[in-house]
Amino acid sequence: MNALLSVKNLSVSIGDKALVEGISFDLAPGEVLSIVGESGSGKSMTAKALMGLLPPMASATGTAMFDGANLLAPHSKTPRGTGIGLIFQEPMTALTPVLTIGLQLTEALESHGLCSKDEARRRAVDMLDRVGIPDPAARMRQYPHELSGGMRQRVVIAMMMLLGPRVLIADEPTTALDVTVQAQILDLLKEIVRETQIGLILITHDMGVVAEMADHVLVMKAGKAEELGPVRDLFASPAAVYTRDLLEAVPRIDAVSTRSGLDTQTLLSVRNITKTFQTRGALFKSGAAHRALDDVSFEVRRGETLALVGESGSGKTTLGRVIARLTAADAGQVMLEGTDLTGLNGRDLQTRRRAVQMVFQDPYASLDPRQTVGRTIAEPMIIHDTLTKTERTQRVESLLDKVGLSADMAQRYPHEFSGGQRQRIAIARAMAARPTLVIADEPTSALDVSIQARVLDLLEGLKQSEDLTMLFISHDLAVVRQIADRVAVMRNGRILELGPASALFAAPKHPYTRALIDVAPVPDPARKRGKRPVLRGDYPTGPLREADVGHWVAT
Amino acid sequence: MWRFLGTRIAMGAFTIWITTILVTLLIHAVPGDPVQIMYAQSQGTTPEQIEEVRRSLGLDRPIPVQYVMYMERLLQGDLGATIRGGQPVLEVILQRLPNTLLLACAAMFIAIVIGVPIGFLAAYREGTLTDIALMIVAIAGISMPHFWLGLMLLFFFALELGWLPVSGNGWLNLILPALTLGLSNAAIFARLTRSSMIDVMSQDYVQTAFAKGLPKALVLRRHVLRAGLLPVVTMMGLQFAFMMGGAIVVENIFSWNGVGRMAVEAIFQRDYPIIQGFILTFSVVVVCVAIAIDALYAVLDPRIRRS
Repeated sequence: MNALLSVKNLSVSIGDKALVEGISFDLAPGEVLSIVGESGSGKSMTAKALMGLLPPMASATGTAMFDGANLLAPHSKTPRGTGIGLIFQEPMTALTPVLTIGLQLTEALESHGLCSKDEARRRAVDMLDRVGIPDPAARMRQYPHELSGGMRQRVVIAMMMLLGPRVLIADEPTTALDVTVQAQILDLLKEIVRETQIGLILITHDMGVVAEMADHVLVMKAGKAEELGPVRDLFASPAAVYTRDLLEAVPRIDAVSTRSGLDTQTLLSVRNITKTFQTRGALFKSGAAHRALDDVSFEVRRGETLALVGESGSGKTTLGRVIARLTAADAGQVMLEGTDLTGLNGRDLQTRRRAVQMVFQDPYASLDPRQTVGRTIAEPMIIHDTLTKTERTQRVESLLDKVGLSADMAQRYPHEFSGGQRQRIAIARAMAARPTLVIADEPTSALDVSIQARVLDLLEGLKQSEDLTMLFISHDLAVVRQIADRVAVMRNGRILELGPASALFAAPKHPYTRALIDVAPVPDPARKRGKRPVLRGDYPTGPLREADVGHWVAT
Repeated sequence: MWRFLGTRIAMGAFTIWITTILVTLLIHAVPGDPVQIMYAQSQGTTPEQIEEVRRSLGLDRPIPVQYVMYMERLLQGDLGATIRGGQPVLEVILQRLPNTLLLACAAMFIAIVIGVPIGFLAAYREGTLTDIALMIVAIAGISMPHFWLGLMLLFFFALELGWLPVSGNGWLNLILPALTLGLSNAAIFARLTRSSMIDVMSQDYVQTAFAKGLPKALVLRRHVLRAGLLPVVTMMGLQFAFMMGGAIVVENIFSWNGVGRMAVEAIFQRDYPIIQGFILTFSVVVVCVAIAIDALYAVLDPRIRRS
């Protein structure tokens, strides 16, 4: 078969610093090629080089034959849009905020002289319909901010497909989306490839997405190709050591859980928590109310890891913040070892609060950039303990050692560390207060998969050695499966299902839980999957009923 | 959008109300007896006359009563009469206000016409010699005080070359003061436009526009410029207030017959009613401009317009 796009020895460099070195691959019509790698592996640079969208300082060498021309030759012009289209990761920023959807869809058709204004409009409406956007004619007059993230990504896909490209490059097209929306967008892309026989280059870091979508996979590391091959071979018998490590680091939602619910005493008891956020209205007018938490009750047992799972807007983060008393609840109680935290103030609150510590999602934002790491870790001790300076320094050093960093790093500042190291520092800071309960809010979502695996191991180890109880907040079911003893599934501020991890994953009792598990991509290309379940809006959300021992489901 | 504008108008009215309180208090903020100071320079005023002035200005009453009296007159459009000459203050101000607004608008026009294209060019050529050279000029422009730049322009174009008149109130006379006021602001706009454009050009939506194969000129005009000019519009509102302030200095250099020049004269003569009227007028103008800018912003940004 003739290749649509044939890349040989593609390299990108800025000055004498090589960002991409010697990448080669072929792309056939109707084929999906995945480029996989962690941040900084050069996968996005490869895409930009093919599009001719490299930053001015960067230059590309090698050959990329498309339609009889070398895209990388000096002064060559990539047929952007009409030949090769590009979709970015973040649908929230991929559309110009001040222009209507309609204008953004039709402008390129007109500018390329492909058709008249009226014809462009008609084609745009048709295409919006094809990518599954309801009421497309009305959408044409809307602005990007009036559409949800999933809808915007559909608009971007429609925008690119309108121009009839033969190759589409999608750079992490679903990373910023919820798992149910991700499934819909992946299905759409698959359908487009099958129907139009375009070649799709799918750039991603998610092995689950790769297994589901790709025919061939190119694994990149530090600008170089580690491995290129058919997806089944690559998953079944990875040739490169790096690929093997990468696959091993990926948490599996279909893994066999060895965990069982512990049956010990209750540490934390959350009772009927309700929280409503008032959106700001104008002068003399009240805004709308958004119920973030709606009568939420559950218990956490000493020594266990309870995961709160849900999509964005489910209330899981708010719940974590309410328990840590970072956000005040409107009603309900948070009982920690018999004391109600919601009623405490001043000194009492400060003393009790040390028992509950948080680890946040973004380690770039959660550390003070102007304090040394040592000072950041020492701060909880200064507040809560009466230690001498030497004792504090010793404890900071031992904490750094515990999280796998070296003691001499205490004098450095956060910007000198990588994302994974920063998250270790954030964990050390939480441990410095000697908490009984650690609330980890998406602690690995901002990290690469290999680093994620190591941070999860660290949390697990600390939990054992420091006798901790953990509340683990995440949207990623595979990670939850790996780390949680029990799982609570949340949606729209309510818990829909709560039970032991093994039972919940093996036999979900609530339809929403089942849908969430079904749509999550599994890193196994051999796994057959039926039609995706359609997510409905009308799930049972009533009070929890015990369906099995310790397994509660909303009725 | 109407709710947004309604909020802005209510906040503007509140600002003006605060100003009226401050303006009433102003007369007492000066150490010593205001009436004594007012008449310190004039010969032969009797204590009876001073007492009479004090009563007519209402300065013998408690401050809250003074405020109510002031507001009562204000709501009838009466800003009092000047100490020298006894003319109605409102009339004196309205006579000169158009001149100041004309100067400020001309300066704003110059600032934008020069500043925005320079900033755009610098952003487009980011990191090149052109960019660096333009930004050095811009820093120099910002650093130059009005009174110095004004005197230099006056010296060069009016005295040495004789192209433009030194002072007066004709159209030709407008050029030098407007340049003085406009050039330093052009530098501010150039820098702001540059940073805003650079920010927008790195956005995904600009890359997406390029990925659609749109020609560069169209991407810049349609996708970059509209979004990139939003901060510039905000800055226009803020700078207009500064320009009104700058006008006080510039009007005096070029003897331009605006409210700024009037205010300086009034300050030297301790003519409190004029000073009070000037401050109030000034705040009304600034508030009106701010509201107009907010309205313009809403028109340009659908996220505000359609909320």
